[in-house]
Amino acid sequence: MEERLDARFLKKLGSFRLDVALTLGEEIGVIFGPSGAGKSQTLRVLAGLSKPDEGYIKLNGRTLADASKKISLPPKERRIGLVFQELSLFPHLTALENVAYGLKCSDRLEVAMEWLHMVRLDELSDRYPHQLSGGQRQRVALARALAPGPDLLLLDEPFNALDGPVRRALRRELKGLFNETKTPIIYVTHDIEDVCSMADRVFFIRDGELVTSIPVQSLWDPSVQGSTWHSLGWGTLIHGVIEERNGLYWIVWDGGRLALRPPVKVEGDATAFVAPHHVKLLYPDLPVDPELEDNVMEGVVAERVVFGGTTRLFVRACNLQWQVEFLNGSYATMELSEGQRVRMAVKPECIYILRSVPNPCTIDPCTEAQFERECKVPFSARRERRNGI
Amino acid sequence: MISSLILSLKVLAVDVPLLLVIGTSLGWLLARRNFRGKEALNLLILLPVVLPPSVLGLYLLMLFGRLPFMRELGLLFSFPAAAIAPLFPSLPIMVQSARSGFASVDVGLEEAARTLGDGELAVFWRVSFPIAKRFLMAGLALASARALGDFGVTLMIAGNIPGRTQTLPLYIYSRVEALDLVGANMAAILLTGVGVMSLLLVRRMEGAHGRAS
Repeated sequence: MEERLDARFLKKLGSFRLDVALTLGEEIGVIFGPSGAGKSQTLRVLAGLSKPDEGYIKLNGRTLADASKKISLPPKERRIGLVFQELSLFPHLTALENVAYGLKCSDRLEVAMEWLHMVRLDELSDRYPHQLSGGQRQRVALARALAPGPDLLLLDEPFNALDGPVRRALRRELKGLFNETKTPIIYVTHDIEDVCSMADRVFFIRDGELVTSIPVQSLWDPSVQGSTWHSLGWGTLIHGVIEERNGLYWIVWDGGRLALRPPVKVEGDATAFVAPHHVKLLYPDLPVDPELEDNVMEGVVAERVVFGGTTRLFVRACNLQWQVEFLNGSYATMELSEGQRVRMAVKPECIYILRSVPNPCTIDPCTEAQFERECKVPFSARRERRNGI
Repeated sequence: MISSLILSLKVLAVDVPLLLVIGTSLGWLLARRNFRGKEALNLLILLPVVLPPSVLGLYLLMLFGRLPFMRELGLLFSFPAAAIAPLFPSLPIMVQSARSGFASVDVGLEEAARTLGDGELAVFWRVSFPIAKRFLMAGLALASARALGDFGVTLMIAGNIPGRTQTLPLYIYSRVEALDLVGANMAAILLTGVGVMSLLLVRRMEGAHGRAS
């Protein structure tokens, strides 16, 4: 595939070093990694809000920045759209005016109206951001970033504040917009579900270092798994077999088993992923939530790492090393030093079953029905108009 | 009284735009830029708030009367002096409002505007200024009322010359001195009215701001 974005740069922020090397074609790339790994900073450097100390950024053959030649185009000349984590909609402008903001043509309001139509917000064009729901604000932010026809769209954990169904609907909407505009997208997330549902290509970032990239289809290949997931060093992978017993589905491995949320479409060999923040520690004297009853494990704390806002434990349990992450200050009454015995549990719906190809993600049935409903509302194809801008 | 009223209005006509431009620029500078001597500048701007008007007036008298270049301008005890004098005690009010106004504008909004193709000037006019506008208008209302009512600094550097530098507050002083309480009261009522109106305006600005956010 033809290369659109080519970036290789180094940025120092105090003692933190951000070392990025990435190339992207006409596709959706997802930067995946834990909080504080430098994901947002990477986007800021690409967008021109922050200057790299070394290296270069090229987009469609144009040099946007080259530290050795002291070139750094200001954001306004980069033609890169950015959707901020906090969205940053202009509070003094209506939805329509927000979308029209980056348009310079004479019929900017009409063009903006078409974009609002595309994200299905025609009727809310005269609302101010504070009069819109979270999902609607996301759509306005998306439309605003796409309207000027950027060469690259960057999204910084855009759906973070949203819950399940809305989040999934927006992801599909974003994919729809991508299929229509063919604008390459870089999407930053620490949610594994985002990765498998959105990405063509995954970039792993850890402690400021972004070097590995792999096509999403091979994300769960046993050959890749070892190296990438190990290099990412985040989350727990379970290699096991999926079995049906007593009407429940389980993933069973040498050392333990966990109940899964039905329906499970995979049988036989499978790999499951559990994010560190989905493993919950259990208080010794309190009754266990019935939802968790089947998935309680006992283990020993092998290591305890305290980050800025979170604590990560490495717990040996059921023949695996589990990562458990929680906000500092949680479980304050529990003794969690190394060598301590703990009980913990994973909710069945937080275990993601991964298959190699083609669709590694579980999709819950309610979303599928919703998806079909939404698919009937087509995105209007008005590319001619937009190309005329 | 009419000539004093007209003179006061002329002073306002000069001071309001100056307050808006200088106060907004300094407020933006203090809120958004880091530079050497920022704290010193801030102190200098705030100084008139704590100095007695006579002290401030004395310093200005020295500045405009003693410095070679300033002396040649011949500003003292003329309309220009009466117009400039109220700026010093009222500017801090405007700068403080503008500073908090610009500080309240989320930096992320300005960055969003940049990624949408705006240069620095456009970011200011399309995002920072409109969002900070309520603060600026409230500050301008208060600062203008303060400028209109200035007494001490005007007296020190412009004197009390009827028809030339005698603004309304000075007129009241002269009337009281001449035991013409009726005349003094009429002018006082006028100034009180303007003061109350500016406070109401500020209140409305703040109220509307509260509702919008």
